[in-house]
Amino acid sequence: MMPDLNQVGEGQPQQEWQAIPEAPAIMVDHVSKWYGQVIGLNDVSLAISGGVTGVLGMNGAGKSTLLKIIVGRLRPSQGQIRLFGTDPFKNPAPYHRLGYVSESEKMYDWMTGLDFVTTLARLHGMTRDEAKERAEHVLDFVGLSDVGHKEIGKYSKGMRQRVKIAHALVNDPDLIVLDEPLQGCDPLARTTIMNVIRELGAMGKTILVTSHILSEIERITEQIVILHNGRLLALGNLHSIRELLDHIPHRILLRTPNPRELGRAVLPHPSIYGVRFPNPEELIIETNNLSDVHQDLPGMIVQSGVMVTAIENPDDNLESLLGYLIGGRS
Amino acid sequence: MMQPTTPPTGPPKRKLSETVWTKLDRKATAIAEFTMRQYRKKRSTWAIGGVGLILIVIVLLFYIEAMSTGIESWDNDDDGMVDEDGSDWEVWQSDEFASRSVSGPMSDDDGDCMALDPFLRDDNDDGIDCNVVYIFNSKGELTSIEADPNVDEDPNESEFLEEAMHRSFIIGFGKFGYLFVLGMFIPMFLATGLIRGEQEAGTLHYLVGKPIARAEILMYRVLGFLGLAWPYFIGLITLSALVTGIFGPGDSIFRFSDLGIWFGVLIATFFTVMTYSIVFVTFGLVGPRFGYVAVFLLAVFELFMMLVGTAGSGSSVRVKALTSMSISFWGTEIINSTAWMVWGDYAFMNGQALLVGPYAEISLWAVWGTPFPTTSPVANFIISILVLTFVSALFVLMGQSAFKKRELN
Repeated sequence: MMPDLNQVGEGQPQQEWQAIPEAPAIMVDHVSKWYGQVIGLNDVSLAISGGVTGVLGMNGAGKSTLLKIIVGRLRPSQGQIRLFGTDPFKNPAPYHRLGYVSESEKMYDWMTGLDFVTTLARLHGMTRDEAKERAEHVLDFVGLSDVGHKEIGKYSKGMRQRVKIAHALVNDPDLIVLDEPLQGCDPLARTTIMNVIRELGAMGKTILVTSHILSEIERITEQIVILHNGRLLALGNLHSIRELLDHIPHRILLRTPNPRELGRAVLPHPSIYGVRFPNPEELIIETNNLSDVHQDLPGMIVQSGVMVTAIENPDDNLESLLGYLIGGRS
Repeated sequence: MMQPTTPPTGPPKRKLSETVWTKLDRKATAIAEFTMRQYRKKRSTWAIGGVGLILIVIVLLFYIEAMSTGIESWDNDDDGMVDEDGSDWEVWQSDEFASRSVSGPMSDDDGDCMALDPFLRDDNDDGIDCNVVYIFNSKGELTSIEADPNVDEDPNESEFLEEAMHRSFIIGFGKFGYLFVLGMFIPMFLATGLIRGEQEAGTLHYLVGKPIARAEILMYRVLGFLGLAWPYFIGLITLSALVTGIFGPGDSIFRFSDLGIWFGVLIATFFTVMTYSIVFVTFGLVGPRFGYVAVFLLAVFELFMMLVGTAGSGSSVRVKALTSMSISFWGTEIINSTAWMVWGDYAFMNGQALLVGPYAEISLWAVWGTPFPTTSPVANFIISILVLTFVSALFVLMGQSAFKKRELN
């Protein structure tokens, strides 16, 4: 039988069990994972403690594999993984401090949201009453208190994601791992979930969240990990990476009824080296200093007197970022 | 748009009075309850349970029909009279004549032996006129019956056969109906996917992602299944006991004497269902691709062993040793042992079938079981339970080992 890791008594500090207090929440040490001949993760090392970290990568980059290894669903083929100093595949003890939201859409559709969270809370050793109280609290936190008694099968995609987040928060974890929590959600649900994640980060939790959409992660955090083909491509502050990106060729797309006139107006700008007209209502500006152009563009548009209905940055996405980081290699 | 309001406060700190057992109890109850609720929501559970109930009711209706129809006696000695030597049932059932070599003046009901010359009245040479000597071996089995002339020449077959069929029905129904058909097929259909089904449905990570050992999840899931299966069997066996108690042979309103054997059937079913469910869960875990094939092969093996065991049940130790490789064997041994304990005259009655003829012998022989592995029914009862518990524990360990290493992709 498992030892009572949470037992406290006289002469012992009245605090929850902690494996190794000084250990980072996540420590990934030269971890690789193979699926037969296919490499899912290739020699990844990182340590994360505190704050919100976004894991970015295209589909198949190894994001989910990394998260599954971190939460002990998969065993690394090589290397070591430590969650609060403990191997999560061998020992479920770190799960006391972990909340995990899987990318899987599968849930117990016959349960109500409240039942789902309450039942899983009881697996943390809570009494029925404690679990229900906590479940109501976290459902309120994610904005589902009014539909807690509805069957999950009748929830929208966004509500399902939020109830999954609620179940991950029910044990008040120190580390929350969210695998594509915004996937398939409508804009309102996305905003709500992003607010929840930001709030949790502000509360001092360590949060790891994956996405393949740069703008989503950007709205949540600046601290990112970029994976590509199973390898760790970059680790650090998104802002710094963006500054580097500013000085590589970029396109800005403007929708206007008079693209040629607007093109004539912006072409003299020293950072703009070309303009193109893909169709009669669009203008593409080519630049090698994105921030400069963005700073001056409103003034140039006003000065030209041409109406502009939309401004887009087609190169401001993960593909472009990856393209830059790998220097054209795939 | 909903905005987070107040941060979660975390689970309440534990009190000193709480132990590891308190938390384990909570987790065990949570998973077992969850499993039961999950079963209740599945249509397959109701379908399989309903089919089981219908089968039992149909068999019981046949039993009621058989008992209501009765069995006609026949004129063994062709004297135009039937049953003139009766069955002496009450005397046979007394302790004095059970399980030991004994003689008694009890069977010349019509006095045709006593009408003979005195020197012709004691063919069996026991010094007593017009009686029957029952010869038992050291195991308590009736080996022969030596009757004086005109004694028991026309016993009451009707009374004997009804009793024999009634008892055979209970034991046979317990073994084939409850242990084999329902006892194996219900766990086969409902328990095999206890873990595997969750994995296939992509929901297992909700359970294993909690601070609870996978081995515990396995055990508590099985506990949840048993929490549903055992009451189901209690209901069916209670129904069977009521029907056979009310419609069984005898003058009393209810045959309370049979409750013991039904209790034995219940215990046997409990342990057999537990063992099968753990074995099937483990098969589902060890061989995710071929789990159902393994389960099917085991079912065929169990059926074969049960048929072999039944065919040779009264005979050699070699057959017993062979069939003891199966799970169902130990379940049937619990029923056999209970029969020996509850019906003290069971061996005696089997011997009496020699008097009545092959028809009666077959009715008992079909479900008859000599004690194994010892001659003590109590010891056999305990040994059978221990063997089933051991097999269950062994498969729990195998299942745990497979589950612990299982990656959840």
